Amino acid sequence: MKIVVCIKQVPETTNVKIDEKTKNIDRRGLGGVINSYDLHALKAALDIKNQVGGEVITLTMGPDDFAVSLQETLALGADKSVLLSDRAFAGADTLATGYVLGKAIEKIGNVDLVLLGQQSVDADTGQVGPIIAELLQVSQVTYADKMIAKNENLLIKRNLGTVEQEITAKLPLLATITETINEPEYTNVVEIAKSFDKTITTWHAKDLDLEDSRVGQAGSPTIVCSISSPEKVVKQGHKLADDPVAAAKELVAALKKQNVLAEDE
Amino acid sequence: MTVIKENWIFAETELQKINPVTYQLITKMNQISHDPVVVVLIEGQADKLENQLSEYGPDKIMTIKDDALVNGDDLEITNALNNLIKLKGTPNTFIFPATVVGRSIAPRLQARLRAGLTADCLDLKFEDDLLIQTKPSYGDNIMCEIIIPDHRPQMATARPNVFSAEKYDNPELTIEDITNLDWQKDSNLEIKTQVLPPKTSDDIATAKRIVALGRGDKTDPGIKTAQQLAQKLHANVGVTRPLTDLDNFTIDDQIGQSGQTVAPELLLNLGISGAVQYTAGIANAKVVVSANTDSKAQIFKYSDYYFVGNAQEFAKALEANL
Amino acid sequence: MDQKQISKEILLRMVKSFTTNEVAPFDMEIDHTRSYVNDLFNKIKKYDFLSTMLPKEYGGAGFDGETTAAMINEIARGNASLAVTLEGHFKSIDQIVKYGNQALKDEYLPQSKSRIIAFSMTEPSGGSNPLGIASHAEKKGDKWIINGDKIMITNGGLAEIYCVLVKTAPKELSFFVVDKDMPGFEYGKQENFLGLTGVPVGEIVMNNIEVDENHLLGKIGMGKEIGDSAHNDARVLMGAVLTGIMEHELNIVTDYATHRKAIDTPIIQMQGIQRKIADIAVAKETTKLLYQKAAWLKDHRQDYEQEAAMAKAYGSRSAVKSGDNALQILGGYGYSLDYPVEHLIRDARAMEIAEGTVEKMRTEIALIEAKNRA
Repeated sequence: MKIVVCIKQVPETTNVKIDEKTKNIDRRGLGGVINSYDLHALKAALDIKNQVGGEVITLTMGPDDFAVSLQETLALGADKSVLLSDRAFAGADTLATGYVLGKAIEKIGNVDLVLLGQQSVDADTGQVGPIIAELLQVSQVTYADKMIAKNENLLIKRNLGTVEQEITAKLPLLATITETINEPEYTNVVEIAKSFDKTITTWHAKDLDLEDSRVGQAGSPTIVCSISSPEKVVKQGHKLADDPVAAAKELVAALKKQNVLAEDE
Repeated sequence: MTVIKENWIFAETELQKINPVTYQLITKMNQISHDPVVVVLIEGQADKLENQLSEYGPDKIMTIKDDALVNGDDLEITNALNNLIKLKGTPNTFIFPATVVGRSIAPRLQARLRAGLTADCLDLKFEDDLLIQTKPSYGDNIMCEIIIPDHRPQMATARPNVFSAEKYDNPELTIEDITNLDWQKDSNLEIKTQVLPPKTSDDIATAKRIVALGRGDKTDPGIKTAQQLAQKLHANVGVTRPLTDLDNFTIDDQIGQSGQTVAPELLLNLGISGAVQYTAGIANAKVVVSANTDSKAQIFKYSDYYFVGNAQEFAKALEANL
Repeated sequence: MDQKQISKEILLRMVKSFTTNEVAPFDMEIDHTRSYVNDLFNKIKKYDFLSTMLPKEYGGAGFDGETTAAMINEIARGNASLAVTLEGHFKSIDQIVKYGNQALKDEYLPQSKSRIIAFSMTEPSGGSNPLGIASHAEKKGDKWIINGDKIMITNGGLAEIYCVLVKTAPKELSFFVVDKDMPGFEYGKQENFLGLTGVPVGEIVMNNIEVDENHLLGKIGMGKEIGDSAHNDARVLMGAVLTGIMEHELNIVTDYATHRKAIDTPIIQMQGIQRKIADIAVAKETTKLLYQKAAWLKDHRQDYEQEAAMAKAYGSRSAVKSGDNALQILGGYGYSLDYPVEHLIRDARAMEIAEGTVEKMRTEIALIEAKNRA
């Protein structure tokens, strides 16, 4: 099976602040790491490869130093990597990002399965997966909790809270992966050196068959007008009735209204 | 592309019930929108879920009664919604709940329409027709205001339980049955669904609901009451440090600086005073309720609701009310 | 970025995540139970931590001294014992790489990927004065027969291969490599130390252990030189361990002082507290620069013994003092066995003694100063 795993390099912590002067996110001194959900997606891909054979290709879009994260995926067991790097890609929102990733997957060719983490921990959107699926015109299964190959198909479980779905999916398919699906391995110390025997290919905008209007800022319908630190939520502290029974009634009604308790609880 | 002056909401249903987040979105859109608020409802032939939606007073409900589509996958629902837009025109905005369902369908439809979509909004407001969307990033550490100036519909998913739902009797309400909607089937996925029983987590760090016990309620009956209440709520029981000395609890059950950091939807503090060693572990709890005999207890500063009095009596009354 | 920088970044990303998830949460438990809980030792082996600085030709990852020290620093932020266990192994590999004959290297370096190698010099009769030892090796035919008793061995009991210092003549010190599976090898008593309680420290007894000539490390009479070299390599890595301990102290104390309020003001607003915290931060950063410089000099084949001695002497004293300041700021919580500060002091205290006492470090530093002016 030919599997592409899309990964994203994100700051090592999401505990970021706004720089008072530049009004931008202060990322000084922050290292990068692979988005944690994507590590679960990579592990899911490697597990399927273990099961049925094939090839795992990791793919990311970003500046050249994102190659570190691709190298890390090679040390973790991916077979090869593709870096999509071009000034033209800068300023892309999820739609423009999904478009370029989708075009790269078309160029890789004959891909059976595309996997992504359910979302990135910095932008928190979870949108890029379904966007790629739409561009590739393949079916999608988001938030996959379990995944195994069976015959020519994939058996997938999804936990939607109140219900669980068991899905038999034909290939090609795009799936996004939750963190409960597996326990990713740590990078083996010795494999880091060995990973340099594998290749990372860089593709620029000209290497892909792209419409200019759909790339980077031009291809991004959304515009960020401002960013801010959230105001610290001060708890309102509503005092309940003095009588315990009255207080309990009051609380249950309030929690139901807020949907913290279900109507029938 | 004809743009129509309407703001659409996708009604989420599960197990033939409306997900309450839909009501929250209706109320919010009613509050901010000058143009008609329209709910798109997909339901079974025999269902009458529009009756429940009506209570929250949108201007219009479009019902698509289609047994196959109710259980449709993301691609099929995208196909249907895309055709609905072809049929009725492009709405000014189209809002989805930021649930697993909404966050899966909305981006697929967005890509089909080549529109803009903002994820997991915590606030929405209009400037004329332009929707100003407030979206968290970096695990809610940063807030962004986002607009979509040149594309329609302006799409957003909005986080559940951020807006409150208010019933409203809208005299303008109309219900339209969409009977002629075609959609293309997806034969690649075969989906079997089964209902899951409510379940408590084995670990307080990931528990959705927690009943927490402190020194003020460490008697045997106090513990028993808390455990019974927890059982009824499908909650886990957590404790402060002094209680880890008891046989019933271990360090794994301890909340706070030298114990676990918790992030439940509901945290019920019984007899907890609120020392910094404890409150350091509960910063991510959503709704906090505390009961303590001391009217000046520190914990009340961290609480959405508080009860001054005997925590055990309060817990018993609460259990009786559930 | 070149291959070396990329490799270093990938390694440190992994070690950071490993420490955060697998080591730090068990820090107190390791201290209290005196063992590597959470199956830690097997995990360390599984991910080839033991091969970090082993040259590639022996199946290792071949990281340089600077990167290896940075890794030890990162692990020590989570638990100092585990960092010291690795330090003991790495310094032993270093000596076999530096002094071993080809046959010895071919036999033991590939094994070091999964078997810990320890370095043992101390005996009941002498520590820092090596000529006071009683262990000895006698040549019989083409074999050496080794007898003696070694104590206070870092990783003693956990390690499977031992570099042992013995007398080959009344005033002649030499090193041999012995294996726990050799006839005549026995484990003795385990120490019950105050700090670094996760690190097993124990005794081995050698009764007529017979080894081939190629088990001689270096040449006959090179015992002192090899011992000094092992000390130097250990001290660089101990600087890294001590930096990690101070980073841990700084995290605890800053977090506490930011949240702890006196009346309504967080105590970090108070000058007395600020001075203590600032002193910890300065000491931490100074120790880091010292060990990094020592490692850089070592990687570039320049003299590094003075910087190594400084890193250990300054770092150990500072980490104990910083821990004491941290304890004072945390008050009762600092003094509690249920909070981690007290064991950080005990851990740091070990390094004022091991691998040469602080007093001995100062002597060495002063003598190097004198020599440089001679």
